[in-house]
Amino acid sequence: MKPNGPRRLPNRGWQLIVASALLIGCAVLLAVRADATEAAAEVRTVDQDVQALKKELVDLNRDLFRLEEELLYPASTQVAVFLSVNVGTFFALDSVQLNVDGKEVANYLYTEREVEALHRGGVQKLYLGNLKAGEHELVAVFTGKGPHERDYRRGTTLKFDKAVGAKYVELRITDRDAALQPEFAVRQWE
Amino acid sequence: MTVSIVRHCRSLFAGALLAWSGGAVAAEGGGAPAADLPPPAKIRDLDYGDVLFHFFQDDYFEALVRLEVAHELGRMPDHESEAALLAGGLYLSLGMHTEASRRFERLLAGPVPQSVSDRAHFYLARIGFQRGYLDEAERSLARIRGPLPGELESERKLLAANVLMSQGRFREATAVLDGWSDTGSWANYARFNLGVALVRSGEAARGRQLLETVGTMDARSDERLALRDRANLALGFALLQERQPETAVVALSRVRLDGPFTNRALLGLGWAEADASRPQRALVPWLELRERSVVDASVQESLLAVPYAYAKLASNGQAAEQYRHAVSAYAAEARRLDESIAAIRGSGFLDAVLEAASESRKGQGSIGWLWQLQRAPDAPHTRYLYQLLASHEFQEGLKNYRDLRIMQRNLARWTGSLDAFDEMVAARESTAATREPRKVEFLAATDLEALRQRRDALAARVAQAAAARDVVSLATPAEAAQWQALDELAARIAALPPGDKRDALAERSRLLRGSLAWRLDAEYKLRLSQLRSAMRDTDAAFAEAGRRYSRVEKAGDLAPRHNADLALRVRELADRMARLQPRIDAAAGAQERLLAGIAIRELEAQKARLASYATQAQFALAALYDGAASGGAR
Repeated sequence: MKPNGPRRLPNRGWQLIVASALLIGCAVLLAVRADATEAAAEVRTVDQDVQALKKELVDLNRDLFRLEEELLYPASTQVAVFLSVNVGTFFALDSVQLNVDGKEVANYLYTEREVEALHRGGVQKLYLGNLKAGEHELVAVFTGKGPHERDYRRGTTLKFDKAVGAKYVELRITDRDAALQPEFAVRQWE
Repeated sequence: MTVSIVRHCRSLFAGALLAWSGGAVAAEGGGAPAADLPPPAKIRDLDYGDVLFHFFQDDYFEALVRLEVAHELGRMPDHESEAALLAGGLYLSLGMHTEASRRFERLLAGPVPQSVSDRAHFYLARIGFQRGYLDEAERSLARIRGPLPGELESERKLLAANVLMSQGRFREATAVLDGWSDTGSWANYARFNLGVALVRSGEAARGRQLLETVGTMDARSDERLALRDRANLALGFALLQERQPETAVVALSRVRLDGPFTNRALLGLGWAEADASRPQRALVPWLELRERSVVDASVQESLLAVPYAYAKLASNGQAAEQYRHAVSAYAAEARRLDESIAAIRGSGFLDAVLEAASESRKGQGSIGWLWQLQRAPDAPHTRYLYQLLASHEFQEGLKNYRDLRIMQRNLARWTGSLDAFDEMVAARESTAATREPRKVEFLAATDLEALRQRRDALAARVAQAAAARDVVSLATPAEAAQWQALDELAARIAALPPGDKRDALAERSRLLRGSLAWRLDAEYKLRLSQLRSAMRDTDAAFAEAGRRYSRVEKAGDLAPRHNADLALRVRELADRMARLQPRIDAAAGAQERLLAGIAIRELEAQKARLASYATQAQFALAALYDGAASGGAR
């Protein structure tokens, strides 16, 4: 702060007054600093507690997540359908409709953020459900914008055998460079 | 003595101004280490891809939980070290430094690719620096062997420079920067930090040079514009300290008029003009500043600065009026501070803060959202939010509080699910009980041993036919009937009285039998092969029947055990949740009290500052009246 007040003040008295005010200010600042040191120690303690609680919560969520999956989707009947995008220059994904054995099981509309996550290498678990052992048919219909910003709707079908044990299926959107078109592939994972 | 205290306080104030305008800063990505992770070239485990899907949407908690589940179930064998690195980064992003360090150290204890170990060392260095363990941070940085991918390499250099600066090794920090030709964000953050540090340490010329570089850089993004403003502000105040008002004016004038640093720049600009003996021009930024919200410290100061300038211009009447205005504005503001302190001592303080912060965050980057809080609701709880959130301590505490609230909601959601799990286990137990009689009936009705004997007898017949080349045994039922009929016919012919008729019949019978035998012989190989193939199918079906039988048998035995295990897990998880809930509530309460304490201390300090300003204004006013009484006033 610059010294304030007009030049023609009775200087000595003025300086004493300002000095007293600043002294009070400094004393308040020092008191505040002492309090702040005490508070900083308390902040560290609470922070350690919060960290420990967060770790417990992560572990709890992990165990609950596992239990939920085992209860709702036992390995013997579990079917998971994933969706991934590789490059994806020729197709801007809007939505996917998934049918299993003629019944719609998922109809997903994508946000910009989700599409970006797919382009960066993320793989979406689109559907998790249960199927009996035997032959099944999966039909996925992709909707979005194709080359030259045209509306684009394409389907792909997979007939697969579900054995005893979890079944993973990946729907993959790739680029067919030669034809400048998107390609929709289905892959079964063991 | 008095003069030295005044000087000391003034230098403290000038130092504080520099700190205010130029504390060490970090670039946008610095707060979220997990976000540094580059995507893998190819996903080889779908579960790892699923983790990344959530991770790339900044949903770190969900990503971490899925990562831990997939790791525990061994579903990411092809991404093990990357997953371990990501886990450490996620723990760090979620504020769990201790667990993050443990994860990185555990990762480094095993054989990992250099690209992974380099990144783990980098994160350990970052944790060390954030916690003030500078030697550890330096050691971790020294263990990085190759360049880090993408932006991380620039961040590594910034971190190295920051560690050196924090140790007061400015020359070495400068050397890090000198070899850095990059003009990207990270290099400019490093230049800014080093510039400020050099000015503080007395190497003003070199420091100013660095600040000048950042202050005149080309900037288009909000982040770069804010950094440029900040550099100009720091440079302006550094020049003011060195009594170089003319160049200070140039630097301060470069600060945007609508940015987060405008108020401070306007205040400094006024002081620079006043220092250059141009009080008339000093009034221009100060009068603009005076019209702004008095919550801001720069605006509070401008209330004293404006009459100071009028007094310099010998307009004592206007000066007196402005001092009176300042006194009344300070009193009003002190009352508002009292209201806020009372509100903070009441309840709901942090929830109101979180709501305002969340509103402010909508559509804003991490630079913008804090600034938006200047326009936070003018209510006692939130009026001073921007000032409070300027403190790192408060921000960190608020993050913890927000996390605790999220944890409470998370537990509440699972509590509902756990009730459903309980019912599902009960339903499974009931289903298993219903199935038991059906199972017993099925097992009793299925005689696998008798089936096995029939299969063995069949196999023996095939083997016998093959060994004796018994073509007739492979005849179809119709052919076997024909063969038998021909046998009977031959016996009847043989019983006829000898003669031409019997001979003719015998000859026809022999021809028919020969024809049938020829056909059976011709098809023997094909039939034997078909029979053997059918036997193999029978064997496979028999084995499958055996397996299914065994599963049904075991299912009966395992179901109760499995259901009991699930019921036990549900109970155990419910217990853990019940124990965690009150601890989270208690921690949230402690965090709220702590933050309320910090907030009240900060607001009390503001009150003390206002009281000091008010005293100065009152005395200046008294001095003006004094002068007027002695005949000097205009």
